[in-house]
Amino acid sequence: MKKIININFHSRVIPIEETAYDILRKYVDSLKKHFADEEGGDEIVNDIENRFAELFSDRLKKGATCITDADVEEIITSMGRPEDFDQDETSNKNGNSSRNSSSFAEEAAADEPRRLYRSENDKMLGGVCGGLAAYLRIDPSVVRIIYALLILGSFGTALLLYIILWIALPPKSMVTKIRKRLFRDPDHKAIGGVASGLAAYFNIEIWIPRLIFCLPLIGGVITSIFRHATWFDYEGPVFLGGFGGTLFITYIILWIVLPEAQTASDKLEMRGEKIDLESIKNTIKSDLEGFKQKATVVGEEMKVKAEEFGAEVKRKSGSLKKEISSVNIPRQGIGHAIGVLFKAFFLFITVIITFALVAALIGVIFSGGVVLPLKEYFIHGFWQNIMAWSVLLFFLILPVVGLLTWLIRRIIGARSGSNYLGYTFGSLWVIGLISLIFLMASFGRHFSTPSSLDDKIELTAPVNGRLIVKMDDSKPYYIDDSDDWMGMNWRHRGPFFGLTDDSLTLNTVRIDIIKSNDSAWHLERVRRSLGNNTAEARSLASQINFPVEQKDSVLSLSRGFAITPRQQFRNQKVLLVIEVPVGKKILMKRNLEDYKWFSINRKRWGNNGINIEWDDNDNDYANSWTPEVEYVMTENGLERTGKNFQDNNGNEEQNRNALPDSSQKKNPNGDYRYHKPKTTRNLNAPANEKNPEDKDVESTESSATLVLLTNLS
Amino acid sequence: MNIENTQSQMRKGILEFCILSIIRRGEAYPSDIVEEMRSANLNILEGTLYPLLTRLKNADMLTYRWVESNSGPPRKYFSLTDKGLAFYRELETTWKELANAVDALASKTEIRAENP
Repeated sequence: MKKIININFHSRVIPIEETAYDILRKYVDSLKKHFADEEGGDEIVNDIENRFAELFSDRLKKGATCITDADVEEIITSMGRPEDFDQDETSNKNGNSSRNSSSFAEEAAADEPRRLYRSENDKMLGGVCGGLAAYLRIDPSVVRIIYALLILGSFGTALLLYIILWIALPPKSMVTKIRKRLFRDPDHKAIGGVASGLAAYFNIEIWIPRLIFCLPLIGGVITSIFRHATWFDYEGPVFLGGFGGTLFITYIILWIVLPEAQTASDKLEMRGEKIDLESIKNTIKSDLEGFKQKATVVGEEMKVKAEEFGAEVKRKSGSLKKEISSVNIPRQGIGHAIGVLFKAFFLFITVIITFALVAALIGVIFSGGVVLPLKEYFIHGFWQNIMAWSVLLFFLILPVVGLLTWLIRRIIGARSGSNYLGYTFGSLWVIGLISLIFLMASFGRHFSTPSSLDDKIELTAPVNGRLIVKMDDSKPYYIDDSDDWMGMNWRHRGPFFGLTDDSLTLNTVRIDIIKSNDSAWHLERVRRSLGNNTAEARSLASQINFPVEQKDSVLSLSRGFAITPRQQFRNQKVLLVIEVPVGKKILMKRNLEDYKWFSINRKRWGNNGINIEWDDNDNDYANSWTPEVEYVMTENGLERTGKNFQDNNGNEEQNRNALPDSSQKKNPNGDYRYHKPKTTRNLNAPANEKNPEDKDVESTESSATLVLLTNLS
Repeated sequence: MNIENTQSQMRKGILEFCILSIIRRGEAYPSDIVEEMRSANLNILEGTLYPLLTRLKNADMLTYRWVESNSGPPRKYFSLTDKGLAFYRELETTWKELANAVDALASKTEIRAENP
């Protein structure tokens, strides 16, 4: 039974046990003594007393009838005694508490009789792996990874086992007692923090695991450079491709499975440091330092608390807000896994696109480099040169360099101080773009005006009514590797050959064979060029040197014509129009095929003039021709006479000197190149001795497709 | 040497800075400050806090206003003055430098060569 007195404590009436009041008074006196010399000591004591009053009110409100000894002692302990004030008042307390927590953990470990549970708080799906991990005392993430592999390996049977365990095991909330766990590190993350988490666990630099993950990407870029640069079919180590896929999947699995290190103790666990007050304090300190740059979760919690700070009214809405915001991004569990898969998918697409762009860019750069020797023939003058170099450097090479730099920086984890690097790259690239536009413009000017010169060359009628047209092969032309540049035979890739320092030989020659209007042979040679203006074009055209020589029944055409750097490449062409009188024959030799972009036009295109354009239509049957086959000019155009001197594949060899008699009637199906229906024609061509098996030029609608198909086969 | 003494000295040094950084983010009354520091795993006795707050107030770093509360006596809500903010910023710089320096020293691993 105790005496209760009422005291007037800071304008409140407080019923308090008398003994409790004594304790309180002693305490306040000691405070006053302690702060006697302190400036504002009175105010300090006043504040502390006020706090006491507040706490008393709280207790009374909660239903206590009076303040007891125990209450006062409790508040004094929490407030602190004067002798504790300037000392380390908390280390004892916290030392106790840390000892308590660790012993609690040990007790928890001791008192549960080693049973297997499901973990309540460490769960992604059902907590099975978490419980297993606690039982086996290993890192739950390791257990999860192993289990995932098990599922894959057992074709899903392990999944069934998981469900059984999920049902069978009882749940229990358990603390993780592992000292070092594998986490993802959100503070140092580039994509998902997997690499930095690994680095922290193994205590290595961050860029090492990051580099390993990026290795296939870099390897791919390098091999693509090789492949384009050397024209060897360099396939590169193939295993890199498969390797890259595995690493990518590993990264995704780790991203899903590993939890994020959120609280300070998580971060310490991640690094494997001792978890007690000192290390947590240090972690907090380092976190506080980085407070401004990145908002850590701790900071976010503080932010939420700060919202509650204001008045009492705000507190209500603040707590409501906190509830809403606590429905946050799931850090573990199915939602997390799905989120990761989405992010990984987008990342994958981005990587593929970037990679393709980079490879294309590299390809363009190298093909640009390859045509370097031809530069002289295209680019003339100071400004054009500058533009061209600027285009190459800024427009093409710069993005690749920029991309590589950005990639390396991300790997190392270097923070870019400012954006000036990005701005510099960007503006240089724009300069390159402008140069490109200028280059195109000035380029176009050079190719604006065409001009042609045509001369008529006399042809004497060949002896037996048959003209053989061939390329001049009197001078032996050596084909060897010296023609190759960068490991490639240019003769098959461009309309030119014989690239030397001061000349380039073009063979852009086209031959038209048309019916002569009279009974004489005619040859017209048209030389054509483009240029800035008509005068220049005409002058360039006249500089084309393309001789033709007729010896008896053989018409020799020059192999090509040379242009010099002074003249520049201006799409110079030569067109030869051979007019064949009706009834006469003409034969093309195979070496004419060496003319690039070359075809023989067997028809006169009405009155539209002569088609001097490049005709790449190999499939256009009307313009196709067969070398080494004799054609005869009829009223309707050239027709084969059926005299095969050498078949296209060199398989069948007919009699070269066969007499033009009907005993040479060809087997309609023997000529396997043209499968035509037999048509009887009434030809009014007088000199048509042979029975032509070739299609009539007009009635080939039905066999056109057949020809097309057989041509393609 | 008493380890607790050294530890307490270390903690004493940063106490003002921590309190100022809490108040900087908004008005606070002492009980809340203690709460916040506890949640940051930095425990402090209220009895240490009150003198410190008063000292800061007397040095014109803090100012306070009384807020009536329906549950108990009125409370003092502290906030930073301009002088206090400047003081805080300086302390922040000092803290950063200090933390960097200590980290750098403590994390070095190379063995120092012995002097012959």
